[in-house]
Amino acid sequence: MTFAWKTAGLTYNRFLAVASRTVRRSLKEDMRVAAERRGEMDLRFAKWENGKQGENKNLGEANAASFVSHAEKS
Amino acid sequence: MLSRAARPALRAGAQSAARPATLNATNAATYATLREIEGRLKSIRNIEKITKTMKIVASTKLTRAQRAMTESRKYGQTSNLVFEKAETKPIEGEGKKTLIVVCSSDKGLCGGIHSGMSRKTRAILAEKPDIDLVVLGEKCKAQLGRSNGKNMQLSFAGIGKDVPTFADAQAIADQIALLPTDYASVQIIYNKFINATSYDATIIEAYSEEAILNSPNFAAFEIDDEVLANLREYSLANSLFWALAEGHACEQSARRNAMDNASKNAGDMITRFQILFNRTRQAVITGELVEIITGAAASEE
Repeated sequence: MTFAWKTAGLTYNRFLAVASRTVRRSLKEDMRVAAERRGEMDLRFAKWENGKQGENKNLGEANAASFVSHAEKS
Repeated sequence: MLSRAARPALRAGAQSAARPATLNATNAATYATLREIEGRLKSIRNIEKITKTMKIVASTKLTRAQRAMTESRKYGQTSNLVFEKAETKPIEGEGKKTLIVVCSSDKGLCGGIHSGMSRKTRAILAEKPDIDLVVLGEKCKAQLGRSNGKNMQLSFAGIGKDVPTFADAQAIADQIALLPTDYASVQIIYNKFINATSYDATIIEAYSEEAILNSPNFAAFEIDDEVLANLREYSLANSLFWALAEGHACEQSARRNAMDNASKNAGDMITRFQILFNRTRQAVITGELVEIITGAAASEE
């Protein structure tokens, strides 16, 4: 059994995030606002090499970009 | 009020004036003028106001954080039930890389909860120096980056502004899964909430696929091999969410306590300075009276 999203290069967590975002967006207006606040994510991250901190990047964008490149490879 | 030029006279007057020797605390401070004391009083009052407000803010956030914590704890424990039933154990052995995820936050002013975690991490690193580190939150990043910068792989910032969401945990878990090295065991260090005043740096294990496969009671579950990777990623996100929420609750309650103590200390200092201020004012008045009376007596003759 292979999953369509797996072949597209998504991880399970990414798949879940996309699915839950879709569910949240299809809720009724009043509940949607409250639900979408639970889906907010505003993190930054940095890679470290040899004891030096790299550049600070937005996590959401970086994640999306890495999946795009992942999908192109496979 | 006396001018600065009159201070030596005041000092002499204050020392020779009929002041009982019981004022041991004020002895050193006799040199302070009224204006200096007033200035300090004002600044301490302002500090007290700030710490009081921060305490109130932390208390309101705490109730929300605690609710999120109890929910996420149940969630995390349920997620880990599978591994308990399967009796999964982390794989120990040569050449197995371990990853430590330290769950702190961006904000300080909350006592020693961040340094407690850094200390625990350093103790583990002292035993096994080749462990890799992923640090969530600026505070532990600054502490561990200085002492163990070589072990750092990733650091995340922007945590602790609000109650952590599952989306946060998922994004972090994704980024950890994308790391080039394959880790045999992932350990999440977080502050376990024992009660409002005590926390303990604790470890949750997130197991690798190999560890899950090798667990003694694995046959009790029907799991396809392909789904196992998903389970691993998902359980990592679950555990991270649990750790983040519990750490957040700990931080808020620690901040509440720290601010409570700070307000109390400020209150103590205010009463002390108020007494000192009143006494000094009395002394100044007495000194002036003595001068006036002596002057009057001298001019009478």
